[in-house]
Amino acid sequence: MRLMIVDDSNMIRTRIARVVQNGGLQGVVLAGLAKNGKEAVRLAMVTRPEVVTMDLTMPEMDGIECIQALLQFDPSINILVVSALSDKSTAIQALRLGARGFVAKPFSDEELQIALLDVAEAR
Amino acid sequence: MATLNETDLKLFVDSIRTYLKVTTRQEPQITSAFLGTEDLEGFEFNGIVTFSGSHNGHVVVSMPARLVREILLLQHETDLRDSNLLDAVGEIANTLAGNARKSLGSELDISVPVKVQGLNGIKARVRKHPYVITLRWNHYEAMVCVDMDRRH
Repeated sequence: MRLMIVDDSNMIRTRIARVVQNGGLQGVVLAGLAKNGKEAVRLAMVTRPEVVTMDLTMPEMDGIECIQALLQFDPSINILVVSALSDKSTAIQALRLGARGFVAKPFSDEELQIALLDVAEAR
Repeated sequence: MATLNETDLKLFVDSIRTYLKVTTRQEPQITSAFLGTEDLEGFEFNGIVTFSGSHNGHVVVSMPARLVREILLLQHETDLRDSNLLDAVGEIANTLAGNARKSLGSELDISVPVKVQGLNGIKARVRKHPYVITLRWNHYEAMVCVDMDRRH
């Protein structure tokens, strides 16, 4: 299963990558890292990710726009939103647009692993 | 413009406490919370997020290099260059600001973080006397400055 990580923070991108690589998430391979929505859309066309972790507040193109663009390109992509915007209305908006799950920042490695497994198994 | 109340301010105290507890498994000690009446001298690494919509202003997270390095090391990060320390402090400010929407409402819009290196990163823009929260984590001092008001 190919995973793309989208977040404007290098710290978060490498942390999620580390959780995936060291956390025993079997069958998950990193397809790419993107630092904003625009980069994510470009990268998705080349790497064809099956699962995406998505930040919401990003420059160039934010996560809400990016979710719509990715799902238009490939409706089967499973998107896990990983965001500090942890209010209910933001989560509901992301899920309405087609995201499959929501993890609020700050998150523990265990929380992220469980959420990623849930999204991956929902495929 | 309406001022923040004690509950609003407490959410930032709770937020920085939760951030450090979740990411480092060690809670900080909140050492003081006061109204800044003079120019604030912060630390070298500053993350600033600007609020608009229902509120106006910004929140600044100000930390010394050694504290940010420790936070990164505890997350098994090996890139400890200044650019990555700035990225980290910006992300902490982003998390505090984003978490604030849970209490302040979804009409609160937040900017992407701006990162500033240098001791003069904290400037009051909205309030004459911004709220200042100081903390200690693992012997290191840090500061969160909340300079914001409600629009209505």
